Amino acid sequence: MSHVQNSPNSDFEKLALPLLDPLYNFARWLSGDADEARDLVQETFAKALRGFGGFQEGTNFRAWMFRILRNTFLTSKSGLEQRNTLQVEEDSLEDAAVDHETPELKLLRRADTEMVQKAIARLSPAFKEVLLLADIEEMKYQEVADALSIPMGTVMSRLARARKQVRDYILQTTGGKP
Amino acid sequence: MSCEWREKVAGYVDDELPSAEQQEFSAHLNACPECLAGVAAQTELKKAVRLAGTRFTAPPELHAAVYRSIHPQKGVNPWWKWALAPSCAVLLGLVAFLLFPRTQPDPMMAGLVDQHVTTLRSAHPVDVESDNFHNVRPWFQGQLPFTFNMPEVKDSPFTLIGGKVVYAGQNPGAEVLYQVRQHKISIFVFQAKTTGGAPAKNLSFNVSSWAQGGLRYYMVTDANKDEAGKLAAMFQEVNRS
Repeated sequence: MSHVQNSPNSDFEKLALPLLDPLYNFARWLSGDADEARDLVQETFAKALRGFGGFQEGTNFRAWMFRILRNTFLTSKSGLEQRNTLQVEEDSLEDAAVDHETPELKLLRRADTEMVQKAIARLSPAFKEVLLLADIEEMKYQEVADALSIPMGTVMSRLARARKQVRDYILQTTGGKP
Repeated sequence: MSCEWREKVAGYVDDELPSAEQQEFSAHLNACPECLAGVAAQTELKKAVRLAGTRFTAPPELHAAVYRSIHPQKGVNPWWKWALAPSCAVLLGLVAFLLFPRTQPDPMMAGLVDQHVTTLRSAHPVDVESDNFHNVRPWFQGQLPFTFNMPEVKDSPFTLIGGKVVYAGQNPGAEVLYQVRQHKISIFVFQAKTTGGAPAKNLSFNVSSWAQGGLRYYMVTDANKDEAGKLAAMFQEVNRS
């Protein structure tokens, strides 16, 4: 007796469940709170499940899920509190690229995980979310742009700024060591 | 700091340059120490951020809650539910009467569902891995203050995956993991000093529990009840005194 019959939600489950840990990680970084991150992820899954019928095949599912989570966060209490800081100035990129001397590389290699986590935590929400999606989720620039509903140029400029700030923090901290 | 290619470093490291440009830049690196150092530093920074940023893992209860939200009414398929309903009702009533005389939800069950989910998500779901119960059963001896029998599942739809020692309510117990088609089944065995009782309700997993020979057995699975019930029956058969 063979009856391979998918439940109505099995397609959604197959696509969405592998994203649970990455979404939770993203939510924790955005909100800074375990309970809020859990609520955000649950709400994201509930919204995505409801909207899955209208989800168009061929669209980037991962970017869609992260967009739902991010939008959910932005309308939450702490998201609204952070919203003002989203209006970051898109400074000139002139000083955004890293310097390339070998001593810098040495200093970067001295950075421990805790130090880098502190550097990420200090970023403004707009920079943090771009860095998280590009460097941790390893999304392409276009995917990040889709997830955050911002132009690709903005992704690139914010990413460069975010990396520069992380790098500066690391260099400042490691450089200060004896 | 003067190389005109310098602004392409990030795009190169992120693999975002057009294919031809990516190759061109790669060739350029052979002749430009400045850009080479830039690529090395950017790569190092990216790696450090990735390692440090992958920091949080969703807790088991969140996995369980999300799973429940996707499968709010997981159970038998409607087309044959109705055909089997009368006989199932009688059978389940009888089983419930015999096995679950108490009506209070078993406090162990929620924790064991979480344990089952943790096992499903784990890269190392079992400590002893074998599809032969002659290897798995002896492994538990000496690690647990009790023994139990395991059924031979060779000619059944079930496959033994292995087992491990787990703790619930500060009591050591066995978790034996099986697979049926794409579904996993955890059988938990503890000494019967724990309260037992009815399985918790409203869980997305099929759960059941029975006491036999001074031990309490728990079963957690997303396989359907009838299918999983066969494995439970096999366990009960080989542990009949």
